[in-house]
Amino acid sequence: MSSPDTVEKTKSSATAPRQRRLTIARALNEAIHQEMTADASVVVLGEDLAKIGGVWSTTGGLLDAFGADRVRDTPISESGFIGAAVGMAAVGLRPIVELMFVDFFGVCMNAISSLAAKQRFFSGGQVKCPMVLMTSVGGGYSDGGQHSQCLYATFGHLPGLKVVIPSNAYDAKGMLRSAIRDDDPVVFMFHKGVHGLGWLGTVPRAATHVPEEEYYVPLGKAAVAREGTDLTFVGLGLTVHHAIDAANVLQKEGVSCEVIDLRSIAPLDRDTIRASVRKTGRLIAVDDDYMSYGVSGEVIASVCEDAGIALKATPRRLCFPDIPIPFSPALEPGLLPNGERLAALAREVLSEKRT
Amino acid sequence: MTDLTIPNDLWDDDSEGSIASWFFSDGDDVSKGDLVAEIMNEKVTNELLAPASGVLKILVAAEQPVSKGQVIAQIAG
Repeated sequence: MSSPDTVEKTKSSATAPRQRRLTIARALNEAIHQEMTADASVVVLGEDLAKIGGVWSTTGGLLDAFGADRVRDTPISESGFIGAAVGMAAVGLRPIVELMFVDFFGVCMNAISSLAAKQRFFSGGQVKCPMVLMTSVGGGYSDGGQHSQCLYATFGHLPGLKVVIPSNAYDAKGMLRSAIRDDDPVVFMFHKGVHGLGWLGTVPRAATHVPEEEYYVPLGKAAVAREGTDLTFVGLGLTVHHAIDAANVLQKEGVSCEVIDLRSIAPLDRDTIRASVRKTGRLIAVDDDYMSYGVSGEVIASVCEDAGIALKATPRRLCFPDIPIPFSPALEPGLLPNGERLAALAREVLSEKRT
Repeated sequence: MTDLTIPNDLWDDDSEGSIASWFFSDGDDVSKGDLVAEIMNEKVTNELLAPASGVLKILVAAEQPVSKGQVIAQIAG
């Protein structure tokens, strides 16, 4: 590490912190590298993670850096290798395991729900499960109903799991480092629409400055992505960007929107949601998971259950309708939430006359 | 002034690629060896490193098509 380039870099970053933009994919890769360097008990296993570096480019370079004992390719047998990860976590390792698409949860839910989520409770706190389940979520690129779901609520509903999803690269790195160090099982969802893989398309805004040095973003705390006074949008992952897009449009119409980035749905930071709606009096939850029994309903209930919030309009939500996600490029875009549809719903909310 | 060029051997055939991401903004300082862009061709992303240190002038925006041999940015030292 003594090449002239390295020395020059170190010098310039010592004087003024340089902006260094990363995609979420690269930020996650850096987080894993750094945690594996810091802690020999961190291991990685899953399909195509070692030699290929992950189909989501999250584990490139790990095999060369840490060897085949700590970075393992597995067969296509999610129930086997995710179950193995729960066992590894029980005996003191910190496994990071990838479920390539969250849609595939059906073949391994017993390991997640009956084993990982309940380990600590069933053992009276004697056995922990410090495991990270990384998984990709989201559609919008015509991959069909078995590769395009979000399923936030499916996981958020189960006690014992932490469920988080970043909307930008800075949070992605800091949250993954926190997740790896967490003693509870963390379902770490990354949305394909902000991930930063060229062939999928991405939201450029999601690639942010990411410091190389150590930092952590706490799990379970929402962020105010944008401050406003007239209406609160609550979103997560990609829909945070839909909310920012809508807020930008509405600003030109003289409306000031606040955008809450949940970052975590379990635990859910109800205090931050309530504080925002207490200020604005108007709420729209936006969520690309199916509508019924979902995150959007939980967000709205959290506000309605607080007697101290005076609402100026009925809370509303924009979600994916309760049908399987179509493959057809003619149908899918018309069903997914986007900034334009969100702005239109906001105009309805803003013009509502309460009786 | 140093050109940032898509190398002629970055992929095999003469198909077009596209700029997946710029990791710096127009006008940013870059150091030689910094990862400045990702170029995608046929679902494969390739890294482009800064050939020199200086101020980056971006000539082709992200998500635009590019060809091998094309100059996509300049670095003023």
